[in-house]
Parts: sequence; C-alpha cells; structure tokens
Amino acid sequence: MIELKNVSKTFPNGVEALFEINLHIGKEEFVFIVGPSGAGKTTLMKLLYREELPSTGTVIVDRVNVSELNSEQVPYLRRNIGVVFQDYKLLPRRTVYENVAFALQVTGVPRSQVRRRSQQALELVSMLKRTSSFPEELSGGEKQRVCIARAIVNNPTILLADEPTGNLDPQTSFEIMELLDKINKRNTTVITATHNKGIVDSMKRRVVQLEGGRIVRDQALGGYH
Amino acid sequence: MRFITGVEFFVVEALRNVRRSWLMSFVAIGIVTVSLFIFGLFLLLVVNLGNTVAEVGSRLDLIAYTDRNLTDQDAGVLQSRISQITGVTKVSYISREEAWKNFREDFSQKLDLAEVTRNNPLPNSFAIEVRTPELLPAVAQSVARFPEIDEVRYSGKLMSQMETLISAVRIGGAVLIFLLFFATLLIVVNTIRLTVLARETDIYIMRLVGATNSFIRWPFVIEGILIGVFGSVLGILILKTSNDAVTFRIQSALPFLPIVRDSNILNIIYVMVLLSGILLGMLGGYISVSRLLKEKG
Repeated sequence: MIELKNVSKTFPNGVEALFEINLHIGKEEFVFIVGPSGAGKTTLMKLLYREELPSTGTVIVDRVNVSELNSEQVPYLRRNIGVVFQDYKLLPRRTVYENVAFALQVTGVPRSQVRRRSQQALELVSMLKRTSSFPEELSGGEKQRVCIARAIVNNPTILLADEPTGNLDPQTSFEIMELLDKINKRNTTVITATHNKGIVDSMKRRVVQLEGGRIVRDQALGGYH
Repeated sequence: MRFITGVEFFVVEALRNVRRSWLMSFVAIGIVTVSLFIFGLFLLLVVNLGNTVAEVGSRLDLIAYTDRNLTDQDAGVLQSRISQITGVTKVSYISREEAWKNFREDFSQKLDLAEVTRNNPLPNSFAIEVRTPELLPAVAQSVARFPEIDEVRYSGKLMSQMETLISAVRIGGAVLIFLLFFATLLIVVNTIRLTVLARETDIYIMRLVGATNSFIRWPFVIEGILIGVFGSVLGILILKTSNDAVTFRIQSALPFLPIVRDSNILNIIYVMVLLSGILLGMLGGYISVSRLLKEKG
C-alpha cells in the first residue's frame, strides 16, 4: 500500500527533516507514528499526499510513485487519501453539512450523490444532528468528527491523521481514536501521528517511532515508551 | 450532469466571493467602468475622425483655372481631353461669366460688389472630380501640363494633414488603451487576490481533497467576469448617453460635421467594450489565483 525507500527530505532552508527512511505499510493497517515535536512526523505525512516531495528516495502510494506524478495527476492521488488535522481546518462560513459536502462538490461529484454520501459520512461520525451548525458552535471533539467526516466522504483507501487529538481532552481523545479504529475496520489504512502516550499505549497497534528524522523503532502491537 | 453541477457550484461560489468583499468589488467595477469608458471614447474618436476624412475626401475636387481668352470651342476640346485622364470622373466647364454670376449671388448680401469692382475679375475654370482622394496629386499634375491651364488648385494639404492627425490619434490611442488595460488588469487582479487570500483555507482544503486546479480557478474567473460585465455595462451606458448627447449638440451647432450615427458601427463599438471587460475580468481572475496553485517541489 505505502512504501518509502531511502527517503530523505531536506528543506530549502537547510533543515534535514527526514533521513534515509525505509517504511512499508500494508493494506488496512493501523499505524501510529510517534516522536517528539520536530521529529519529522508531519513531513512524513506530507510526503504521502504529495504536499512535499522527497529530496531523495522514492515514495510509493497505492503502487504509484508520487514523485513522478505531474500536477494534473496529483488531485486524483489526493482523492484516495483523507487527511485529518490537529486544528481541523474547517471552513468557518460553511455549516457542518456544507463542510463535508464541499469535499464532494469540488471533486465534481453529481449533486444527486452529494447529499446521500455527506449524510452517510456524518452519520458514521455521529454528527447527523448538528448538520446545520457552524464550526464555531461546535466543541473541539465535534469539530474533529466533522473533519474526519470530510476526510472519509470520498471513500479514500488511506486516512492520515496528524495529531488528531492534539487539542482535545483525554476522554474526547479516546472517542476520536475509537472512531479512527472504526474507520480502519471498514478497510481503510489509518496512519496517525501523535505524541499522546495514553492513546498509543492503550490501543496496542503498530508503532513507528521517529527521532531527529530517523526511524528508531518499528514495533508491532507496541506502546509509546 | 457533472458539468451542470460544476457550473452551479462555480457561480454560487463566485457570488459568495463578490458579496464577501463587496466594497473592493465595487471599487474594481468602478475602475473597469472608467477604463472601458475611456477605451470606448477612443474608439468613437477614431471612427469619427476616419469618417470625417472619408467625407471630406469625397467632397474634394480640382479646380483648374485657364487662360482668360479661351474660346468656348477651345474650352470644349480641352474639357474632353481632361476627361480622358485616368481617375477623372467628371469635368464641368465654368465660364468666367457664369462664375461671376454665382459669386455675386453668393455674396451680394454680404458686401456691396459695385463698390469693389464693376469688371468681372474671375478666370474661366474647369471643375474636375476624381474617383478617390489619393488620385488628386497625379491628376493635378496631368492637368497642369496643358499649356492653356494657368493654375490647378486642390486641398491636398488638408487631406494629408487630416490623415496624419488620424494616425496620430490611432497610435496615441492604442498606446493609451494598452496602458489602461494593464492598469485596470492590475486592479482587477488585486481585487480578486483579496478574495483569494480570504479563501486561502478553502483553496487549501480544495487542493487537499483532490480538486483539480481548473476547478479551483473557475469561481475566481467567474468572479472576474462578473466584475468585467458589470463594469463594462456601466461604461457602455455612460458612453452611449454621452455620445448621444454630444452627437445631438454637434448636429444642431455644426450640422456640416459628419458624425457617425450608423447604429451598426456604434453597436460594434459597444460590443467591443463589453468583450474587453469580460476578457479583462477573466484574465484578472485567472492570474490572481495562479500563485496559490503552484505545485510545491
């Protein structure tokens, strides 16, 4: 599903974010990427949805070498990858429903399908009763649910979550992780970058630990350490 | 179906943008209006000047003055020989008696000719009409070669001066329109860029969920077109109102000036102004969003 071979990333300002990363993530896996801030977690995620390109090495997503995609092909790669952010990135002037439907509308999905699929996604994250609320009227956990609904509404095969619980209290964090687990069980590969020890330890999934841009541990059914 | 869904989305988004930054949109529309009004004004000026030259040119003819002692018979021979020169369409002989009579009829009310002179001071002459104004110099030369002809007169200088004026107006107008176009484009680009910046997160999300660049661009291009259409329609209304008013005044004050009243020509000018507005808006929308769509390396 996802394959990184000898991937390094150096930014134009000279910062070495990732160094010689080799990583294989199989279909429908659930993987935690852990490590302190600045370890390269976010950069690793960005390489997967081609927000950044590797300086050296190859990144293969769903059998496609993302470095070789031209700018017209990138949108089609991204339709297959859902992304969830720590700060949600919801559009403030649109309702919950509009935020989710937006992801379908802008990829040219016919209107007859937009309503049905948006509602299905909102139902999955238990937000159907808040469809006409605006983001500022929601709690952090609710916002993250909407963000997840938007990420999965296009039925991607991969879901990337970058610090999804970074702004949430422990109880809400667990609920969000349960939701990601539920999505993983619906045959979606889920990769979660986090430094939330409690979650990682309790979920007992594969853990890839980054430090200073290098993988220092890759352990099945691991804890945070 | 997919196309219709897209168009509906684009228009709704474009209107949302205009509404969100209505003050800047209003300013941009105003500036498009002023620029396109000036653009239309130049088109009208050039068309009217061209028309005037054509009109003056068609009225031009040669006057060839002849020997005073020319007999009517000699005049007839000369007349037929002049009419054989290429480009000449009509030659009429005006005897000095006839010319004197016309002159007195024309001016008798304005001055007392009896006081000026009792004798006829005028020569015999030929009025020669030519097919096109450009032929005037050549025909004048040929006519002047006849020994019986004393002098040939035509307003060639006036013609060439008018043509110089027209080309000056054309070149000056083109340069001005060019500069105006870029100044207006810059303002439209910056106006739409404000809505682009206000929608940076929207664009980021659109890119993230896999919207194509052209899909992201369309709402901004349509926003530009809306600004262009509103601006040019206003410009055309002002242009039409002022053209009608000025035409009316000139025609009552200077009825001999050949003002263009052909509604086809005017309509073409108005359509050109409208198309320029649309083009301006489209380009403005397209350029303003391009920076955000550049792929990261």
